[in-house]
Amino acid sequence: MDEKGLSLSKTVWSQLDRKAGAIIELTIRQLRNRMSTWVVLGVGILLMALLLAFYVDSVREGFESIDNDGDSVDMDGDGYPLGQEIKYGHSDYNSDEFPGSSEYVRVSNIDYDDQIRRTSGNFTWEGIGRFDAIWKDTKYSGSSQWEGIIDWNIASNNSCPSGDVYVDWSPEYWGYACYYSDDEFFVYGKFKANGTIDVPLDRSINWGYYTQPFFIEPDLQSMYINEDDIDWNGNLLQSSQGFDDDGDCTRENWSIDNAESAFYFDYSGDQFDEDKNNNGIICDVLWEVDANGDEISSISPDSNVDEDPDDEKYMGESSHRTFIIGVGKMAFVILLGLFLPLFLALGLIRDETENGTLHYLLSKPIHRGEFIAYRLLGYLSVTGSYVIILSLFVGIITALLGPGDEIFRISDIPVWLGIGFATFLVLAAYGSLFNTLGLISPKYGVYVSIVIGVWEFVMGILTIANPNWTLSAISINHWALQIIDSIVLLAWPETLQLQQMSSAFNLETGLDIFWKPPVHTLGTSNPIVAIMVSMFVLIVFTIMMLVVGQSIFKNREIM
Amino acid sequence: MNDINQKPPSVLLENVSKWYGEVIGINDISLAIEGGVTGILGPNGAGKSTLFKLLMGRLKPSQGTVRLFGIDPWKSTSPYRRIGYVSESERMYDWMTSLDFISTLARLHGMSRDEAVERSKHVLDFVGLEDVHHKEIGKYSKGMRQRVKIAHALVHDPDLIILDEPLHGCDPIARTSIMSVVRELGSQGKTVLISSHILEEIERITEQIVILHNGKLLAIGNLHAIRDLLDQHPHRILIKCDSPRELAQLFIREDPVYGVRFPEDGQLEIQTNNLSAAHDILPSTIVKSGQKITSIENPDDNLDSLIGYLLGGINNG
Repeated sequence: MDEKGLSLSKTVWSQLDRKAGAIIELTIRQLRNRMSTWVVLGVGILLMALLLAFYVDSVREGFESIDNDGDSVDMDGDGYPLGQEIKYGHSDYNSDEFPGSSEYVRVSNIDYDDQIRRTSGNFTWEGIGRFDAIWKDTKYSGSSQWEGIIDWNIASNNSCPSGDVYVDWSPEYWGYACYYSDDEFFVYGKFKANGTIDVPLDRSINWGYYTQPFFIEPDLQSMYINEDDIDWNGNLLQSSQGFDDDGDCTRENWSIDNAESAFYFDYSGDQFDEDKNNNGIICDVLWEVDANGDEISSISPDSNVDEDPDDEKYMGESSHRTFIIGVGKMAFVILLGLFLPLFLALGLIRDETENGTLHYLLSKPIHRGEFIAYRLLGYLSVTGSYVIILSLFVGIITALLGPGDEIFRISDIPVWLGIGFATFLVLAAYGSLFNTLGLISPKYGVYVSIVIGVWEFVMGILTIANPNWTLSAISINHWALQIIDSIVLLAWPETLQLQQMSSAFNLETGLDIFWKPPVHTLGTSNPIVAIMVSMFVLIVFTIMMLVVGQSIFKNREIM
Repeated sequence: MNDINQKPPSVLLENVSKWYGEVIGINDISLAIEGGVTGILGPNGAGKSTLFKLLMGRLKPSQGTVRLFGIDPWKSTSPYRRIGYVSESERMYDWMTSLDFISTLARLHGMSRDEAVERSKHVLDFVGLEDVHHKEIGKYSKGMRQRVKIAHALVHDPDLIILDEPLHGCDPIARTSIMSVVRELGSQGKTVLISSHILEEIERITEQIVILHNGKLLAIGNLHAIRDLLDQHPHRILIKCDSPRELAQLFIREDPVYGVRFPEDGQLEIQTNNLSAAHDILPSTIVKSGQKITSIENPDDNLDSLIGYLLGGINNG
């Protein structure tokens, strides 16, 4: 056998670098020659430009102080903010009730089964009876008929029916009254008068008086914004810190204290509890450090402690991070990570078949599996470098514009690189998956891919909302998002604390929405473990899809 | 592995059949080809492309074995190191220049970039496209595209070249140029398989032919030998001239001619049992008549009649 013939016995797996180089280069050039590539990449750049504009416009612009605990409102328009009304035990839904307004003080009552059924005096009454009036306050009236205040003008013209009340007849409505003879009335409602009342058995009446109204200076609404700042000395110690600056936990000098009422809620919507964190100290904040003792891992305040912090002090940094994490997760991993492969990977081999150019590549001494792998590498070198460059570009801009004293926030760059890396892995996994689907069914692969895309999108959102939810782990996004969560924790360790603070003190930075500590740490709480686990899952999936794709393609007849 | 003395033939098919569901593409073909140019003849749908796709590992034989240099092309792509394939498909990467196109594909043979460019230039020159290396393929004429495809198949200096209808749709100049390229390859000692449905094209390239019909192997061997066989059968020669009757008087005296007809005005049809003998006397007789001849045609000298004869019937077209 000649020299060439001998070389035939060798495997085709030789000079792989040259073959790979040729196919990768061809793939890149093909993608470059397709309109849809530029459209997709352009849309990605446009999306980033919009997000950057949003960043410059709102994230960077500092923060208006907001009323984190919502007590600066004046719903009833009586001039007293909610915070002040609560101190005096008033409702903010009734403009007749406000600090200093006249209040009803109950004196006593005759109950339905009391022995003594007669009393007399000058009071505000509420109940049922036969009233012999010495003096009636005809001016006493309420704002609505539902209050049941008796109108003496009507009553004087309304003689009671004959017979016994509750035997022969009954009062018609709450606020009803009729007269028997001069200044003797049957009453069923509220009224102010001086006289003597007889209460029938099985009926009751209360009596009391209204206090004199007095004037209290209304507080400015602005006094209830940022009125209870976070009191933390910055020491990484497991300790009770925090102080109720505005007194709505300690409730000292409050005229009425509703703390025991089941209907008294704190600002976060829970039942009011002055020792909510159960550390035995009322109205404090419990700061807990993690196992290493170098990070605040959890913050639990008692009800209404440090609940309205100075936003500007905390928001800048948190919002900057939220922006980066949000953009990394939503724009990069979920959107770009899904749309780039959907547009660019699905047809990597299918298009060659459709164009009738596949045979040029297959009539060469290359294994078909090799061919798929190189095609994917070509696609990845386009999309991967695009994503990495784009993430670095956005990263450099935000690092220059971001808050802080440094000119350039160098610590942002690893996070952006991590975002680029996570997106790259997603691109590989989806690329491999969609390409294989396109191979399995050239006709319906695209529809299956779109369905999978919708699933991935939903699971991605759910993962952001709650990474602990098991179902969302059956998605590619889930694992890539874990990588971002982990890298954030590595590059910015104090994010954990910022996130705890934003959720504990109601700082609306979105940090606690967009970032959660990594879940898949195999019980170590170590972000590096989470990165390794996620990388393993994504890479194994990619290779698996590649193997499935090549085993299908290998046995495919190409007409 | 094969015995060192027993070199497997370049192309070997043993009882190969291929059917697509109910439709038969190739029916029980056995064939061994080694060296020289072989024309694969057959009308459209005879199974030429199916045969080539089987050889190129694009289809799996339903039955039988296909071997290229002793290796099953469905299982391994290693024979393609030594094979150049020109598909019937017209599609190419139109946005590439011919040099790019060929050198990119050459690199799939494991050539380095420089090597590939060097070889590509060489083969482009060989097929007569010296001046257009850097022009995009999309701007090429049909004949030029066909030649680029051939050049691409030659870039790795293969021992076996498979050309599926390379002359299809080409203008006469491109046709001539492609034919001379193919002849040149044959004379270099390479094994060339070239398919066509036009007898005359193949006749100008090679004598060694395989005729396929309805997926079956109808004939294999030397075209002239087959032709000689055919020559014993009635054959027609159509001559267009001014005065066919005068010419007919001269021809009817000649031995190989057994009859004449006048199908139309100014046309003479000579009927013969020995085509080559008839062709031998044709020039002298015409000179003798001193007539002006507009054309001489052999209406039976096409693939359809050839197949007709081979199938045993007389096909008068």
